[in-house]
Amino acid sequence: MTSVARPAPASGRPPAYLQVAQLTKRFGSATVLHDLNLTVEKGEFVSLLGPSGCGKTTLLRLIAGLMRPETGRIVIADRELTRVPAHKRQVGVVFQNYALFPHLTVAENVAFGLTNQRRSRDEIKRRVGEALQLVRMAPFADRSVSALSGGQQQRIAVARAIVVEPAILLLDEPFSALDRKLRETMQIELRHILRDLGITSIFVTHDQDEALVMSDRIAVMNEGQIEHLGTPADIYTSPKSLFVLEFVGLSTRLGGTVVSSHGGEVEVETAFGRMRAPAQFRPGSPVVVAVRPEAISIGESEGDGRNVVRARLTDVVYLGAKTQLHLRGERSGDLIQAEIARLPPGGLPSGSELALTWRVEDTMVFPAPASAAS
Amino acid sequence: MATAARILSAIILALVLIFLIMPIAIVIPISFSPSTIFSFPPTGFSLRWYENIRNADGILRALWLSTQIAGLSTAISLLLGTLCAIAIVRGFIPGGRLVATFMTSPLMIPGLVLGIAMLQAAREIGLRDGYAALLLAHVVVTMPFIMRTVLASLALFDFAMVDAARMLGCSYPAALWRVLVPNILPGFVSGALFAFIVSFDNYPVSIFLVDVRTKTLPIQLLNQLEMSPDPTLAAVATIMVVLTILALLVCDRLVGLKRMAAV
Repeated sequence: MTSVARPAPASGRPPAYLQVAQLTKRFGSATVLHDLNLTVEKGEFVSLLGPSGCGKTTLLRLIAGLMRPETGRIVIADRELTRVPAHKRQVGVVFQNYALFPHLTVAENVAFGLTNQRRSRDEIKRRVGEALQLVRMAPFADRSVSALSGGQQQRIAVARAIVVEPAILLLDEPFSALDRKLRETMQIELRHILRDLGITSIFVTHDQDEALVMSDRIAVMNEGQIEHLGTPADIYTSPKSLFVLEFVGLSTRLGGTVVSSHGGEVEVETAFGRMRAPAQFRPGSPVVVAVRPEAISIGESEGDGRNVVRARLTDVVYLGAKTQLHLRGERSGDLIQAEIARLPPGGLPSGSELALTWRVEDTMVFPAPASAAS
Repeated sequence: MATAARILSAIILALVLIFLIMPIAIVIPISFSPSTIFSFPPTGFSLRWYENIRNADGILRALWLSTQIAGLSTAISLLLGTLCAIAIVRGFIPGGRLVATFMTSPLMIPGLVLGIAMLQAAREIGLRDGYAALLLAHVVVTMPFIMRTVLASLALFDFAMVDAARMLGCSYPAALWRVLVPNILPGFVSGALFAFIVSFDNYPVSIFLVDVRTKTLPIQLLNQLEMSPDPTLAAVATIMVVLTILALLVCDRLVGLKRMAAV
């Protein structure tokens, strides 16, 4: 389902920079990671995106060497790391709360790794200076870290991790402690720094916007597995599962049953009428039909090749960038929510009859989850 | 009314302070008294009792022994207690809370009971060496003081710092040494100070374990009092008061008494 990492690929292609193969991790009887595979190319920025408890932080800690997996392999730059202790892996980590050393100054924090490598005093001084310059914290070198603001602490944590030139940089929800505005600035800034240095990075987050903004590729994780590994656009426009669809971005979803299938197109019976979609399902399969908000138009004629939902508007919830429409089906009385990018000019009065339409090719179909589909 | 209450509470506070300090304050002038009996106020000034410390049989030897036992038992408790506290706080061992309670329980057992138990245990395992038995018993006595302060310090310590140090090239023990130790130093210092003092003036446990050759200072002092009660004891007591004040000053310089009191 995702690109499978084989430590020694038979093909002529060079092996990926980071290879995680068949990784399994249990805590007692709970399996946190289940036979997980992931490959990352050199210089790539990959996000691990998922709800809390999906195993993303566990995967990060396994790559860091702060935990041992039950089975599986971790290879970075052709170096087998599975049994290598954390301090010999040359993996850099930016921790969630930064974990700066309060008994040391800013410069001493950044110098910590270089001191362990027994670099010369001159080299340490030069490289610490460069790293602080890079994160625009040079004037703070002699300050105590506890006197810094959250954003400044984060810059120091980044400087401390990259100054030793790690083989890979792991970031564990580094923006979660920052307020929204600062977070957005820091995301762009960090992205630029890492891209300029060409550091291969893995970034753990539960925030889809953060993942979409920063990543070359996103691995959407659920219950200890990667459900979809792809570019942000790929994840958004053609999610591989209902979970990925629901976790990333907004969507309108209708439960139904496939009634016919021919020529790569299925027809699905829903509470709001029949929908067509490009997909392959056996007739009788329970499915969920979905569409992204920006594909929906309001009140247009049901032209050829468009799906239509007719419903009475019960409520309009304005959410800034998006507007949520609460609708009640005319025939069944079922409730649905549609999310649209913007209201038509003049607005929509509550209680009005609406026709929502979208193109058949914008329609997605997923197998219904085991529990009741709606 | 309010003023009257304030004056009254100030008087009570003063009385309590006098009650606490007085015995210690009285011993100091007595130690400088030329008289051979304990008399207050002293009738003159002399250092004869300080000179006599050297002549008094066994006091210096007992002082040296007590210092060794207190120092060693504190050091052993610090090392083992800290490792144990880390295991408890990090959940490395099941039932960690229970272990923590167990490790601090000697605090709640009367010293006499502990002393008899230690004597029995030393006999049972065939530990004939008085010094070793004394040291072991004092590790038990000092451990709770170390455990309490170190556990309290660790509860406020962010172990992600240890992980951060490991990712920057420190082995686990090196990470503990370079990051954990400096950050919970106030806890170490106050725990160690209490532990040292508790061991140094322990009487009820030691009395069961000393023999002719190994007598700790409190026991030697009591012997002295029975055999030749003179102000030599006051001189020793005065020296100990001064040393304690010096130790507190050093700790204040090192980590600050406020930080120590906070743990």
